[in-house]
Amino acid sequence: MKPCIAIFSLLLIFFAGAGLADSTPWQAVWDSETATEEITMTGRATTMTVNDGRSLSATAAVTAARGKVRFDYQADGRRWSLIDDGTHLIQLRPHRKTALLLERPTLAVDRTLAERNYVAREGGEAVIAGRPARVIEIAPREGGPLLFRLWLDRKTHFALKRERHNIEGRLTSGTEYTEVQFGPTVAPDVFAVPEGWAARQPADREAKLSLGQLSARLGFALRSPQYLPPGYVLLGGYEQGWGRHRLRMAELRYTDGLRMLSLFQRERTGEEGAGGRGGRGRGHGRGRDEGGRGGGGGFGFGPPGREDMTLIDRGTEKALRYFGRNAVVVVVGDLAAEELVRMAKSVD
Amino acid sequence: MTDRDHIVDRLPDYAVGALRGRAKVRVESHLAECAACRRELAALARTGELLNSLALEEAPSGTWEAVREKIGEPRRAAPRRPRLAWGLAMGVVALLMVAVGIFLQRPLGLGEPRLVVAVEADEEMQATIQGHLPTMWAAPLADEAAVGLRLAALENNE
Repeated sequence: MKPCIAIFSLLLIFFAGAGLADSTPWQAVWDSETATEEITMTGRATTMTVNDGRSLSATAAVTAARGKVRFDYQADGRRWSLIDDGTHLIQLRPHRKTALLLERPTLAVDRTLAERNYVAREGGEAVIAGRPARVIEIAPREGGPLLFRLWLDRKTHFALKRERHNIEGRLTSGTEYTEVQFGPTVAPDVFAVPEGWAARQPADREAKLSLGQLSARLGFALRSPQYLPPGYVLLGGYEQGWGRHRLRMAELRYTDGLRMLSLFQRERTGEEGAGGRGGRGRGHGRGRDEGGRGGGGGFGFGPPGREDMTLIDRGTEKALRYFGRNAVVVVVGDLAAEELVRMAKSVD
Repeated sequence: MTDRDHIVDRLPDYAVGALRGRAKVRVESHLAECAACRRELAALARTGELLNSLALEEAPSGTWEAVREKIGEPRRAAPRRPRLAWGLAMGVVALLMVAVGIFLQRPLGLGEPRLVVAVEADEEMQATIQGHLPTMWAAPLADEAAVGLRLAALENNE
């Protein structure tokens, strides 16, 4: 009998230990994603981001229930709200009593891709909003600055605090909860456009399309880039219409598991992109010429027939436009400028 | 290359006394151990002696003129030293050509497309950045509160 009792005790200790031990860092990260989809909570958070080289910050009352979330922002005496109802991103503008609806993309990102391209590691322990939290850091496997630092609630796995850094290692966004309550009762109409408000619907429903389907819709032969930055894979193609003139463009979305990359493409017409004049009425930013020639226009001085590239660094991501032989390509993502250039030019 | 090959290469120089210092010492220490290289050196020395013993004879006058006529080579004019003024003029022209070349290279569309770093986005660039934001919202581990802040900022800039 004695050996049986000893084996039983050992098994008991083993399983109890396994239950108490921490999950792997990656498992903790994915548990936090699942928690966001499943829990009901209310809280207050401070949030910051970098936009156009400037730091923006606000406080937000947060309400979340089973995948839907609402942020009621307050900053500089202004108030506005943003709702994710699972189908749309709804921007509520109280001063005009209008709601602007954007299609909410559904991205099927393979988690193993993130685990292949990034390393998740323990970053210690902390207390956020009065709750014990496990800190996880995520960095590129091939080296480089930290991408994410997450403070995950020990009990619910919910991310109580998160920081994101860009490819140069600069902090570009962060959100920290100062109060949080899990399991409150949330009225379902919190996630709907208030009655009597005008709602502006998106023109088209977003649909994943093949290269051929996109080419047929846009009326020109769409080309996929011959070069992809290391670790990135194609998620899908979409048709987009943006701007005052509802300019039609194809969007190819790529990911390395955590970072997203969009390649927009449309047909090049006439003398577009010819230095100094390109664009014809679409407006141009003020810029400085990397070549050192300066000049007032975003495209700088240049003769007819020149092909230009325009780069904008928003801090959180960069956008590069390239006037190719037949297409105008804009690549948007958190990548080194050289990578954006290489990818955009590989479409030509 | 083997050590012996290396010494053989140096033997002609050694034979006419053109080697100095370490190279000379190396050849001599090799020769002390290598009969084949000693034979090679002796052969070189005999060839040298034979060449020295031959008397030089002047070619008959007019030989070179006749050869030049056969191969059609024009007579070379006596070299003239370029004048200083011409030299300066040529230098100035060369500098001008370089300057014009640099100036024309970009306007003619040669080389790589020019990269312009813009401070403000035009409508199309703004639209694509804005178009990318919902993708950022739906990305794994997205900081939705922060992305929402940017969406509002871009809306206000419209």
